[in-house]
Amino acid sequence: MSDAPVTPILEARGLTRRFHGLQAVSAVSFAIGHNEILGLIGPNGAGKTTLINLISGTLFADGGELFFAGNPIDRLPPARRAHLGIGRTFQVMKPFPHLSVIENVTVGALFGFGGGEHSMRIARERARDVLDFTGLLHRKDQYADQLGGPDRKRLELAKALALRPKLLLLDEVMAGLTLSEVDEVITIIKKIRQSGVAILVIEHVMRAIRSLSDRIIVLHHGEKIAEGLSDAVLTDPRVVEAYLGKRRA
Amino acid sequence: MMRRWALLALGVTLLAALPLVGDELIIQYGIDLLLLATLAQSWNILGGFAGYPSFGNSAFYGLGTYGTAIAMAQFHLPFSVGLALGVVLAVACAILIGVPILRLRGQYFAIATLGLAATLAALISNVDIAGRNIGLILPLTHNETMFYEDALALLVACTLTVWWISRSRFGMGLIAIREDEDAAQVMGVNTTFYKVLALALSAFFTAIAGGIHAYWITFIDPASAFDPTLNVRMVIMAVFGGPGTVFGPLVGSFLLTAVYEVLAASLSTAAALLFGLVIVLAVIFMPRGLWNLALGLRRVGWRYFMQNIQQHKL
Repeated sequence: MSDAPVTPILEARGLTRRFHGLQAVSAVSFAIGHNEILGLIGPNGAGKTTLINLISGTLFADGGELFFAGNPIDRLPPARRAHLGIGRTFQVMKPFPHLSVIENVTVGALFGFGGGEHSMRIARERARDVLDFTGLLHRKDQYADQLGGPDRKRLELAKALALRPKLLLLDEVMAGLTLSEVDEVITIIKKIRQSGVAILVIEHVMRAIRSLSDRIIVLHHGEKIAEGLSDAVLTDPRVVEAYLGKRRA
Repeated sequence: MMRRWALLALGVTLLAALPLVGDELIIQYGIDLLLLATLAQSWNILGGFAGYPSFGNSAFYGLGTYGTAIAMAQFHLPFSVGLALGVVLAVACAILIGVPILRLRGQYFAIATLGLAATLAALISNVDIAGRNIGLILPLTHNETMFYEDALALLVACTLTVWWISRSRFGMGLIAIREDEDAAQVMGVNTTFYKVLALALSAFFTAIAGGIHAYWITFIDPASAFDPTLNVRMVIMAVFGGPGTVFGPLVGSFLLTAVYEVLAASLSTAAALLFGLVIVLAVIFMPRGLWNLALGLRRVGWRYFMQNIQQHKL
Protein backbone atom coordinates (compact mmCIF):
# COMPACT_ATOMS: atom_id res chain seq x y z
CA MET A 1 0.00 0.00 0.00
CA SER A 2 2.64 2.49 1.00
CA ASP A 3 4.41 2.49 -2.33
CA ALA A 4 1.26 2.89 -4.43
CA PRO A 5 1.47 6.04 -6.61
CA VAL A 6 -0.28 8.95 -4.93
CA THR A 7 -2.91 10.67 -7.08
CA PRO A 8 -2.54 14.45 -6.89
CA ILE A 9 -5.45 16.41 -5.37
CA LEU A 10 -5.73 18.35 -8.63
CA GLU A 11 -4.40 17.61 -12.07
CA ALA A 12 -4.83 19.74 -15.20
CA ARG A 13 -3.98 18.36 -18.64
CA GLY A 14 -3.80 20.74 -21.57
CA LEU A 15 -6.30 23.18 -20.06
CA THR A 16 -7.37 25.80 -22.63
CA ARG A 17 -9.70 28.78 -22.66
CA ARG A 18 -10.19 31.34 -25.41
CA PHE A 19 -11.99 34.69 -25.24
CA HIS A 20 -12.95 35.31 -28.86
CA GLY A 21 -9.53 35.49 -30.52
CA LEU A 22 -7.49 35.70 -27.33
CA GLN A 23 -5.91 32.57 -25.86
CA ALA A 24 -6.29 33.39 -22.16
CA VAL A 25 -5.05 29.97 -21.06
CA SER A 26 -3.48 27.66 -23.60
CA ALA A 27 -2.66 23.99 -23.04
CA VAL A 28 -1.60 24.38 -19.42
CA SER A 29 -0.76 21.17 -17.53
CA PHE A 30 0.22 20.89 -13.89
CA ALA A 31 -0.60 19.03 -10.69
CA ILE A 32 -1.01 19.96 -7.05
CA GLY A 33 -0.11 17.35 -4.44
CA HIS A 34 -1.97 16.74 -1.20
CA ASN A 35 -0.90 19.27 1.38
CA GLU A 36 1.17 21.20 -1.15
CA ILE A 37 1.31 24.96 -1.63
CA LEU A 38 1.76 25.81 -5.29
CA GLY A 39 2.58 29.40 -6.21
CA LEU A 40 1.15 30.76 -9.47
CA ILE A 41 2.84 33.88 -10.81
CA GLY A 42 3.02 35.82 -14.04
CA PRO A 43 2.68 39.37 -15.34
CA ASN A 44 -0.72 41.10 -15.55
CA GLY A 45 -2.93 39.49 -18.16
CA ALA A 46 -1.00 36.21 -18.08
CA GLY A 47 -4.18 34.18 -17.44
CA LYS A 48 -3.76 33.46 -13.72
CA THR A 49 -7.27 34.44 -12.67
CA THR A 50 -8.74 32.68 -15.72
CA LEU A 51 -6.96 29.51 -14.59
CA ILE A 52 -8.55 29.77 -11.14
CA ASN A 53 -11.93 30.42 -12.76
CA LEU A 54 -11.51 27.21 -14.78
CA ILE A 55 -10.67 25.17 -11.67
CA SER A 56 -13.53 26.57 -9.55
CA GLY A 57 -16.00 26.20 -12.43
CA THR A 58 -16.80 29.93 -12.66
CA LEU A 59 -15.71 29.47 -16.30
CA PHE A 60 -15.73 26.30 -18.38
CA ALA A 61 -12.67 25.23 -20.35
CA ASP A 62 -12.69 25.04 -24.16
CA GLY A 63 -10.27 22.13 -24.08
CA GLY A 64 -8.21 19.93 -21.84
CA GLU A 65 -9.03 17.85 -18.80
CA LEU A 66 -9.30 18.53 -15.09
CA PHE A 67 -9.16 15.86 -12.37
CA PHE A 68 -9.89 16.27 -8.69
CA ALA A 69 -8.49 13.41 -6.57
CA GLY A 70 -8.42 11.34 -9.78
CA ASN A 71 -12.01 12.06 -10.88
CA PRO A 72 -12.86 14.20 -13.92
CA ILE A 73 -14.58 17.47 -12.95
CA ASP A 74 -14.49 19.43 -16.25
CA ARG A 75 -18.26 19.36 -16.73
CA LEU A 76 -19.31 19.88 -13.11
CA PRO A 77 -21.02 23.18 -12.21
CA PRO A 78 -19.27 25.35 -9.59
CA ALA A 79 -21.56 24.29 -6.72
CA ARG A 80 -20.72 20.60 -7.25
CA ARG A 81 -17.02 21.42 -7.22
CA ALA A 82 -17.51 23.25 -3.92
CA HIS A 83 -19.20 20.13 -2.54
CA LEU A 84 -16.09 18.14 -3.52
CA GLY A 85 -13.98 20.56 -1.53
CA ILE A 86 -12.73 23.24 -3.91
CA GLY A 87 -12.84 26.67 -2.26
CA ARG A 88 -11.72 29.97 -3.73
CA THR A 89 -11.40 33.69 -3.14
CA PHE A 90 -12.00 36.38 -5.75
CA GLN A 91 -9.39 38.97 -6.65
CA VAL A 92 -12.20 41.50 -7.05
CA MET A 93 -13.72 40.65 -3.69
CA LYS A 94 -17.28 39.40 -3.61
CA PRO A 95 -18.72 39.82 -0.13
CA PHE A 96 -22.49 39.59 0.44
CA PRO A 97 -22.73 43.36 1.13
CA HIS A 98 -25.99 43.56 3.09
CA LEU A 99 -25.29 40.56 5.33
CA SER A 100 -23.32 40.63 8.57
CA VAL A 101 -19.82 39.20 8.61
CA ILE A 102 -20.92 36.05 10.43
CA GLU A 103 -23.83 35.53 8.01
CA ASN A 104 -21.42 35.84 5.08
CA VAL A 105 -19.30 33.05 6.49
CA THR A 106 -22.28 30.92 7.56
CA VAL A 107 -23.24 30.54 3.88
CA GLY A 108 -20.00 28.63 3.28
CA ALA A 109 -20.66 26.33 6.23
CA LEU A 110 -24.27 25.74 5.13
CA PHE A 111 -23.51 24.77 1.54
CA GLY A 112 -19.85 23.77 1.27
CA PHE A 113 -17.98 20.48 1.40
CA GLY A 114 -20.23 17.43 1.14
CA GLY A 115 -23.23 19.67 0.45
CA GLY A 116 -22.78 21.56 3.73
CA GLU A 117 -24.18 21.54 7.22
CA HIS A 118 -27.99 21.43 7.32
CA SER A 119 -28.46 22.82 10.80
CA MET A 120 -28.37 26.63 10.95
CA ARG A 121 -27.15 26.49 14.54
CA ILE A 122 -24.16 24.24 13.85
CA ALA A 123 -23.29 26.18 10.67
CA ARG A 124 -23.25 29.39 12.69
CA GLU A 125 -20.98 27.84 15.32
CA ARG A 126 -18.61 26.74 12.61
CA ALA A 127 -18.66 30.22 11.07
CA ARG A 128 -17.71 31.55 14.51
CA ASP A 129 -14.71 29.24 14.66
CA VAL A 130 -13.56 30.36 11.20
CA LEU A 131 -13.92 34.03 12.18
CA ASP A 132 -11.87 33.36 15.29
CA PHE A 133 -9.19 31.67 13.17
CA THR A 134 -9.01 34.54 10.66
CA GLY A 135 -9.08 37.28 13.29
CA LEU A 136 -12.49 38.68 12.38
CA LEU A 137 -14.53 37.63 15.40
CA HIS A 138 -14.70 41.17 16.81
CA ARG A 139 -16.35 42.29 13.55
CA LYS A 140 -18.90 39.48 13.33
CA ASP A 141 -22.03 41.65 13.58
CA GLN A 142 -20.91 44.38 11.18
CA TYR A 143 -22.30 44.53 7.68
CA ALA A 144 -19.82 43.35 5.07
CA ASP A 145 -20.03 46.62 3.14
CA GLN A 146 -18.89 48.53 6.23
CA LEU A 147 -15.56 46.68 6.48
CA GLY A 148 -12.26 48.32 5.57
CA GLY A 149 -9.90 46.90 2.93
CA PRO A 150 -7.81 44.49 5.06
CA ASP A 151 -10.87 43.09 6.84
CA ARG A 152 -12.57 42.56 3.49
CA LYS A 153 -9.60 40.46 2.43
CA ARG A 154 -9.88 38.44 5.64
CA LEU A 155 -13.61 37.99 5.04
CA GLU A 156 -12.96 36.73 1.53
CA LEU A 157 -10.59 34.14 2.98
CA ALA A 158 -12.98 33.24 5.82
CA LYS A 159 -15.86 32.62 3.38
CA ALA A 160 -13.73 30.17 1.40
CA LEU A 161 -12.48 28.43 4.54
CA ALA A 162 -15.97 27.96 5.96
CA LEU A 163 -16.83 25.48 3.24
CA ARG A 164 -14.09 23.15 4.54
CA PRO A 165 -12.00 23.00 1.37
CA LYS A 166 -9.56 20.23 0.47
CA LEU A 167 -8.10 22.56 -2.15
CA LEU A 168 -8.03 26.30 -1.63
CA LEU A 169 -7.53 28.74 -4.53
CA LEU A 170 -6.29 32.13 -3.34
CA ASP A 171 -6.41 34.97 -5.87
CA GLU A 172 -4.25 37.83 -4.55
CA VAL A 173 -5.47 37.84 -0.96
CA MET A 174 -2.51 39.99 0.07
CA ALA A 175 -2.79 42.78 -2.51
CA GLY A 176 -2.98 46.16 -0.82
CA LEU A 177 -2.05 44.93 2.65
CA THR A 178 0.70 46.45 4.79
CA LEU A 179 3.85 44.45 5.53
CA SER A 180 2.68 43.36 8.97
CA GLU A 181 -0.74 42.40 7.57
CA VAL A 182 0.99 40.34 4.88
CA ASP A 183 2.91 38.50 7.61
CA GLU A 184 -0.34 37.78 9.44
CA VAL A 185 -1.92 36.32 6.32
CA ILE A 186 1.19 34.23 5.62
CA THR A 187 0.90 32.76 9.11
CA ILE A 188 -2.78 32.00 8.55
CA ILE A 189 -2.10 30.31 5.20
CA LYS A 190 0.64 28.16 6.76
CA LYS A 191 -1.79 27.10 9.49
CA ILE A 192 -4.41 26.21 6.88
CA ARG A 193 -1.90 23.96 5.12
CA GLN A 194 -1.02 22.27 8.40
CA SER A 195 -4.67 21.32 8.77
CA GLY A 196 -4.31 19.23 5.58
CA VAL A 197 -5.42 21.59 2.80
CA ALA A 198 -3.66 21.93 -0.56
CA ILE A 199 -3.37 25.55 -1.73
CA LEU A 200 -2.89 27.34 -5.04
CA VAL A 201 -1.68 30.91 -4.43
CA ILE A 202 -1.69 33.75 -6.95
CA GLU A 203 0.35 36.59 -5.55
CA HIS A 204 2.39 39.56 -6.68
CA VAL A 205 3.97 39.99 -3.24
CA MET A 206 7.19 38.08 -3.94
CA ARG A 207 8.14 37.80 -0.28
CA ALA A 208 4.92 35.93 0.34
CA ILE A 209 5.31 33.64 -2.67
CA ARG A 210 8.87 32.81 -1.67
CA SER A 211 8.04 32.02 1.93
CA LEU A 212 4.88 30.02 1.18
CA SER A 213 5.35 28.04 -2.01
CA ASP A 214 6.75 24.52 -2.19
CA ARG A 215 6.83 24.89 -5.96
CA ILE A 216 6.00 27.67 -8.41
CA ILE A 217 4.53 27.70 -11.89
CA VAL A 218 4.79 30.74 -14.15
CA LEU A 219 2.22 31.80 -16.75
CA HIS A 220 2.97 34.21 -19.58
CA HIS A 221 0.47 35.02 -22.36
CA GLY A 222 -1.58 32.05 -21.19
CA GLU A 223 1.24 29.54 -21.48
CA LYS A 224 3.19 27.84 -18.73
CA ILE A 225 6.78 28.98 -19.21
CA ALA A 226 8.40 27.58 -16.06
CA GLU A 227 7.77 25.20 -13.21
CA GLY A 228 9.90 24.10 -10.28
CA LEU A 229 11.26 24.93 -6.86
CA SER A 230 10.91 28.58 -5.85
CA ASP A 231 14.52 29.76 -6.03
CA ALA A 232 15.24 28.05 -9.33
CA VAL A 233 12.11 29.46 -10.97
CA LEU A 234 12.53 33.01 -9.71
CA THR A 235 16.05 33.25 -11.15
CA ASP A 236 15.14 31.55 -14.45
CA PRO A 237 16.07 34.02 -17.25
CA ARG A 238 12.80 33.40 -19.12
CA VAL A 239 10.82 34.32 -16.00
CA VAL A 240 12.90 37.43 -15.39
CA GLU A 241 12.38 38.40 -19.01
CA ALA A 242 8.61 37.90 -18.82
CA TYR A 243 8.43 40.20 -15.82
CA LEU A 244 11.02 42.83 -16.73
CA GLY A 245 11.24 42.58 -20.50
CA LYS A 246 14.28 41.61 -22.56
CA ARG A 247 17.55 43.10 -21.41
CA ARG A 248 19.03 45.24 -24.15
CA ALA A 249 22.69 44.69 -24.81
CA MET B 1 -40.73 36.68 21.10
CA MET B 2 -43.81 35.16 22.80
CA ARG B 3 -45.38 38.61 22.97
CA ARG B 4 -44.83 39.22 19.31
CA TRP B 5 -46.48 35.92 18.39
CA ALA B 6 -49.39 36.68 20.71
CA LEU B 7 -49.86 40.06 19.03
CA LEU B 8 -49.79 38.50 15.59
CA ALA B 9 -52.29 35.83 16.60
CA LEU B 10 -54.54 38.55 18.00
CA GLY B 11 -54.27 40.52 14.76
CA VAL B 12 -55.17 37.52 12.63
CA THR B 13 -58.11 36.67 14.93
CA LEU B 14 -59.42 40.23 14.68
CA LEU B 15 -59.13 40.13 10.88
CA ALA B 16 -60.88 36.75 10.83
CA ALA B 17 -63.72 38.19 12.94
CA LEU B 18 -64.27 41.16 10.61
CA PRO B 19 -67.17 39.53 8.69
CA LEU B 20 -69.14 39.35 11.96
CA VAL B 21 -69.29 43.14 12.18
CA GLY B 22 -68.40 44.61 8.79
CA ASP B 23 -70.92 45.29 6.05
CA GLU B 24 -70.71 43.66 2.63
CA LEU B 25 -68.72 46.48 1.03
CA ILE B 26 -66.01 46.31 3.71
CA ILE B 27 -65.77 42.53 3.27
CA GLN B 28 -65.38 42.96 -0.48
CA TYR B 29 -62.59 45.49 -0.01
CA GLY B 30 -61.09 43.03 2.45
CA ILE B 31 -61.08 40.14 -0.02
CA ASP B 32 -59.44 42.31 -2.66
CA LEU B 33 -56.82 43.55 -0.21
CA LEU B 34 -55.99 40.10 1.18
CA LEU B 35 -55.58 38.64 -2.31
CA LEU B 36 -53.36 41.53 -3.42
CA ALA B 37 -51.22 41.16 -0.29
CA THR B 38 -50.86 37.43 -1.05
CA LEU B 39 -49.68 38.27 -4.57
CA ALA B 40 -47.11 40.74 -3.24
CA GLN B 41 -45.93 38.23 -0.64
CA SER B 42 -45.61 35.45 -3.26
CA TRP B 43 -43.65 37.75 -5.55
CA ASN B 44 -41.38 38.47 -2.59
CA ILE B 45 -40.16 34.84 -2.44
CA LEU B 46 -38.13 35.07 -5.65
CA GLY B 47 -38.12 38.83 -6.23
CA GLY B 48 -37.32 39.92 -2.68
CA PHE B 49 -35.17 37.12 -1.33
CA ALA B 50 -33.28 36.03 -4.46
CA GLY B 51 -33.38 39.44 -6.18
CA TYR B 52 -34.96 38.10 -9.37
CA PRO B 53 -37.82 40.48 -10.32
CA SER B 54 -40.45 38.36 -12.07
CA PHE B 55 -42.93 39.94 -14.45
CA GLY B 56 -44.36 36.51 -15.18
CA ASN B 57 -46.36 36.14 -11.99
CA SER B 58 -49.51 37.42 -13.66
CA ALA B 59 -49.18 34.35 -15.92
CA PHE B 60 -49.30 32.07 -12.86
CA TYR B 61 -52.26 34.08 -11.60
CA GLY B 62 -54.02 33.58 -14.93
CA LEU B 63 -53.32 29.84 -14.93
CA GLY B 64 -54.73 29.56 -11.40
CA THR B 65 -57.77 31.49 -12.59
CA TYR B 66 -58.30 29.30 -15.63
CA GLY B 67 -57.59 26.02 -13.85
CA THR B 68 -60.34 26.79 -11.37
CA ALA B 69 -62.71 28.13 -14.00
CA ILE B 70 -62.31 25.19 -16.37
CA ALA B 71 -62.77 22.61 -13.61
CA MET B 72 -65.86 24.33 -12.20
CA ALA B 73 -67.55 25.73 -15.31
CA GLN B 74 -66.83 22.95 -17.79
CA PHE B 75 -66.64 19.82 -15.60
CA HIS B 76 -68.79 20.86 -12.62
CA LEU B 77 -66.05 19.82 -10.22
CA PRO B 78 -65.80 21.24 -6.68
CA PHE B 79 -63.86 24.42 -5.91
CA SER B 80 -61.00 22.56 -4.21
CA VAL B 81 -60.39 20.42 -7.31
CA GLY B 82 -60.36 23.59 -9.39
CA LEU B 83 -57.74 25.18 -7.14
CA ALA B 84 -55.63 22.02 -7.36
CA LEU B 85 -55.82 22.06 -11.17
CA GLY B 86 -54.81 25.73 -11.24
CA VAL B 87 -51.87 25.05 -8.93
CA VAL B 88 -50.68 22.11 -11.05
CA LEU B 89 -50.82 24.22 -14.23
CA ALA B 90 -49.03 27.19 -12.66
CA VAL B 91 -46.29 25.19 -10.92
CA ALA B 92 -45.68 23.13 -14.06
CA CYS B 93 -45.39 26.35 -16.05
CA ALA B 94 -43.01 27.84 -13.46
CA ILE B 95 -40.69 24.83 -13.64
CA LEU B 96 -40.89 24.57 -17.42
CA ILE B 97 -39.98 28.21 -18.07
CA GLY B 98 -37.86 28.58 -14.93
CA VAL B 99 -35.25 26.01 -15.91
CA PRO B 100 -34.22 27.82 -19.11
CA ILE B 101 -34.79 31.49 -18.20
CA LEU B 102 -33.54 31.45 -14.61
CA ARG B 103 -30.08 31.02 -16.10
CA LEU B 104 -30.42 34.65 -17.14
CA ARG B 105 -29.42 37.17 -14.54
CA GLY B 106 -31.28 40.10 -12.98
CA GLN B 107 -32.77 42.47 -15.52
CA TYR B 108 -32.40 39.99 -18.40
CA PHE B 109 -34.58 37.59 -16.46
CA ALA B 110 -37.16 40.34 -15.90
CA ILE B 111 -37.31 41.05 -19.63
CA ALA B 112 -37.63 37.38 -20.48
CA THR B 113 -40.66 37.04 -18.18
CA LEU B 114 -42.39 40.12 -19.60
CA GLY B 115 -43.96 38.35 -22.55
CA LEU B 116 -45.14 35.27 -20.69
CA ALA B 117 -48.58 36.49 -19.62
CA ALA B 118 -49.38 37.93 -23.05
CA THR B 119 -48.32 34.68 -24.73
CA LEU B 120 -50.52 32.58 -22.46
CA ALA B 121 -53.47 34.96 -22.93
CA ALA B 122 -53.12 34.57 -26.70
CA LEU B 123 -52.92 30.79 -26.40
CA ILE B 124 -55.92 30.52 -24.08
CA SER B 125 -57.97 32.70 -26.44
CA ASN B 126 -57.79 29.86 -28.95
CA VAL B 127 -58.66 26.98 -26.67
CA ASP B 128 -62.28 25.81 -26.82
CA ILE B 129 -62.42 24.33 -23.35
CA ALA B 130 -61.23 27.66 -21.91
CA GLY B 131 -64.06 29.53 -23.64
CA ARG B 132 -61.77 31.10 -26.24
CA ASN B 133 -61.65 34.91 -26.06
CA ILE B 134 -65.20 35.11 -24.68
CA GLY B 135 -64.31 33.69 -21.28
CA LEU B 136 -66.03 31.45 -18.76
CA ILE B 137 -68.82 31.89 -16.23
CA LEU B 138 -68.41 30.11 -12.91
CA PRO B 139 -71.31 28.90 -10.72
CA LEU B 140 -72.60 31.75 -8.56
CA THR B 141 -72.05 31.50 -4.81
CA HIS B 142 -73.17 34.40 -2.73
CA ASN B 143 -71.01 33.76 0.30
CA GLU B 144 -68.65 36.69 0.80
CA THR B 145 -67.61 35.48 4.24
CA MET B 146 -66.25 32.21 2.82
CA PHE B 147 -64.16 34.06 0.20
CA TYR B 148 -62.90 36.43 2.85
CA GLU B 149 -61.83 33.64 5.21
CA ASP B 150 -60.23 31.67 2.34
CA ALA B 151 -58.23 34.72 1.27
CA LEU B 152 -57.13 35.37 4.85
CA ALA B 153 -56.07 31.74 5.35
CA LEU B 154 -54.07 31.90 2.11
CA LEU B 155 -52.29 35.10 3.15
CA VAL B 156 -51.44 33.59 6.55
CA ALA B 157 -50.10 30.39 4.95
CA CYS B 158 -48.04 32.38 2.44
CA THR B 159 -46.62 34.65 5.14
CA LEU B 160 -45.75 31.68 7.39
CA THR B 161 -43.92 30.13 4.44
CA VAL B 162 -41.97 33.35 3.87
CA TRP B 163 -41.21 33.53 7.60
CA TRP B 164 -39.83 29.97 7.46
CA ILE B 165 -37.78 30.87 4.37
CA SER B 166 -36.32 33.93 6.11
CA ARG B 167 -34.69 31.77 8.77
CA SER B 168 -33.93 28.58 6.86
CA ARG B 169 -30.98 27.21 4.93
CA PHE B 170 -33.08 27.55 1.76
CA GLY B 171 -33.58 31.26 2.48
CA MET B 172 -29.87 31.80 3.14
CA GLY B 173 -29.20 30.27 -0.29
CA LEU B 174 -31.67 32.67 -1.95
CA ILE B 175 -30.23 35.68 -0.13
CA ALA B 176 -26.69 34.67 -1.10
CA ILE B 177 -27.85 34.54 -4.74
CA ARG B 178 -29.28 38.06 -4.42
CA GLU B 179 -26.15 39.43 -2.77
CA ASP B 180 -23.62 37.90 -5.18
CA GLU B 181 -24.48 34.99 -7.40
CA ASP B 182 -20.89 34.13 -8.42
CA ALA B 183 -19.80 33.96 -4.79
CA ALA B 184 -22.90 31.92 -3.88
CA GLN B 185 -22.09 29.35 -6.57
CA VAL B 186 -18.49 28.74 -5.57
CA MET B 187 -19.59 28.43 -1.94
CA GLY B 188 -21.77 25.49 -2.94
CA VAL B 189 -25.24 27.00 -3.51
CA ASN B 190 -26.97 25.10 -6.33
CA THR B 191 -28.25 28.36 -7.74
CA THR B 192 -30.44 27.14 -10.61
CA PHE B 193 -32.27 24.63 -8.41
CA TYR B 194 -32.86 27.21 -5.66
CA LYS B 195 -34.20 29.81 -8.07
CA VAL B 196 -36.55 27.35 -9.79
CA LEU B 197 -37.83 26.15 -6.41
CA ALA B 198 -38.46 29.75 -5.34
CA LEU B 199 -40.33 30.48 -8.59
CA ALA B 200 -42.44 27.32 -8.16
CA LEU B 201 -43.37 28.29 -4.57
CA SER B 202 -44.25 31.76 -5.79
CA ALA B 203 -46.43 30.27 -8.56
CA PHE B 204 -48.16 27.99 -6.03
CA PHE B 205 -49.54 30.80 -3.85
CA THR B 206 -50.18 33.11 -6.81
CA ALA B 207 -52.31 30.46 -8.54
CA ILE B 208 -54.48 29.86 -5.47
CA ALA B 209 -55.08 33.60 -5.19
CA GLY B 210 -56.14 33.59 -8.86
CA GLY B 211 -58.49 30.66 -8.25
CA ILE B 212 -60.19 32.29 -5.27
CA HIS B 213 -60.60 35.51 -7.23
CA ALA B 214 -62.14 33.68 -10.21
CA TYR B 215 -64.76 31.91 -8.10
CA TRP B 216 -65.53 35.14 -6.26
CA ILE B 217 -65.89 37.30 -9.40
CA THR B 218 -67.62 34.39 -11.30
CA PHE B 219 -66.65 35.70 -14.73
CA ILE B 220 -63.22 35.53 -16.30
CA ASP B 221 -61.72 36.24 -19.70
CA PRO B 222 -58.12 36.21 -21.01
CA ALA B 223 -57.66 39.98 -20.67
CA SER B 224 -58.61 40.11 -16.99
CA ALA B 225 -56.95 36.82 -15.99
CA PHE B 226 -53.59 37.69 -17.55
CA ASP B 227 -53.62 41.41 -16.73
CA PRO B 228 -50.02 42.68 -16.82
CA THR B 229 -50.82 45.70 -14.63
CA LEU B 230 -51.59 43.28 -11.81
CA ASN B 231 -47.96 42.16 -11.93
CA VAL B 232 -46.80 45.76 -11.74
CA ARG B 233 -48.92 46.21 -8.61
CA MET B 234 -47.34 43.14 -6.98
CA VAL B 235 -43.87 44.56 -7.60
CA ILE B 236 -44.74 48.05 -6.38
CA MET B 237 -46.39 46.80 -3.18
CA ALA B 238 -43.58 44.41 -2.30
CA VAL B 239 -40.81 46.88 -3.12
CA PHE B 240 -42.57 49.76 -1.35
CA GLY B 241 -43.01 47.73 1.83
CA GLY B 242 -39.62 46.07 1.87
CA PRO B 243 -38.49 43.28 -0.45
CA GLY B 244 -36.77 40.32 1.19
CA THR B 245 -38.52 40.89 4.53
CA VAL B 246 -41.41 38.94 6.08
CA PHE B 247 -43.78 41.81 6.84
CA GLY B 248 -42.67 44.49 4.36
CA PRO B 249 -44.87 43.28 1.48
CA LEU B 250 -47.89 43.11 3.82
CA VAL B 251 -47.37 46.65 5.09
CA GLY B 252 -46.77 47.83 1.52
CA SER B 253 -49.92 46.31 0.09
CA PHE B 254 -52.17 47.37 3.00
CA LEU B 255 -50.89 50.93 2.90
CA LEU B 256 -50.79 51.42 -0.87
CA THR B 257 -54.20 49.84 -1.44
CA ALA B 258 -55.72 52.08 1.24
CA VAL B 259 -54.05 55.19 -0.21
CA TYR B 260 -55.24 54.23 -3.68
CA GLU B 261 -58.84 53.73 -2.56
CA VAL B 262 -58.90 57.05 -0.74
CA LEU B 263 -57.38 58.89 -3.69
CA ALA B 264 -59.71 57.18 -6.17
CA ALA B 265 -62.73 58.13 -4.08
CA SER B 266 -61.80 61.81 -3.68
CA LEU B 267 -59.93 62.61 -6.89
CA SER B 268 -61.05 59.94 -9.38
CA THR B 269 -58.80 60.11 -12.46
CA ALA B 270 -55.99 62.09 -10.83
CA ALA B 271 -55.51 59.23 -8.38
CA ALA B 272 -53.24 57.23 -10.65
CA LEU B 273 -51.07 60.29 -11.17
CA LEU B 274 -50.59 60.92 -7.45
CA PHE B 275 -50.03 57.22 -6.92
CA GLY B 276 -47.18 57.40 -9.41
CA LEU B 277 -45.70 60.37 -7.56
CA VAL B 278 -45.72 58.40 -4.31
CA ILE B 279 -43.80 55.59 -6.00
CA VAL B 280 -41.19 57.93 -7.49
CA LEU B 281 -40.56 59.61 -4.13
CA ALA B 282 -40.40 56.23 -2.40
CA VAL B 283 -37.81 54.87 -4.82
CA ILE B 284 -35.64 57.98 -4.34
CA PHE B 285 -35.86 58.28 -0.56
CA MET B 286 -36.33 54.68 0.57
CA PRO B 287 -35.24 52.33 -2.22
CA ARG B 288 -35.19 49.34 0.10
CA GLY B 289 -38.72 49.81 1.35
CA LEU B 290 -40.63 50.92 4.42
CA TRP B 291 -39.25 48.12 6.57
CA ASN B 292 -35.68 49.23 5.90
CA LEU B 293 -36.74 52.85 6.42
CA ALA B 294 -37.98 52.02 9.93
CA LEU B 295 -34.71 50.25 10.78
CA GLY B 296 -32.63 53.03 9.23
CA LEU B 297 -34.45 55.85 11.02
CA ARG B 298 -33.89 54.11 14.33
CA ARG B 299 -30.21 53.61 13.60
CA VAL B 300 -29.08 56.86 11.99
CA GLY B 301 -32.14 59.15 12.10
CA TRP B 302 -32.75 61.55 9.23
CA ARG B 303 -29.32 60.88 7.77
CA TYR B 304 -30.94 57.72 6.38
CA PHE B 305 -32.45 59.77 3.52
CA MET B 306 -29.16 61.49 2.80
CA GLN B 307 -27.38 58.13 2.59
CA ASN B 308 -29.95 56.86 0.11
CA ILE B 309 -29.71 59.96 -2.06
CA GLN B 310 -25.92 59.67 -2.09
CA GLN B 311 -26.22 56.05 -3.19
CA HIS B 312 -28.19 57.13 -6.26
CA LYS B 313 -25.17 59.26 -7.30
CA LEU B 314 -27.56 61.95 -8.55
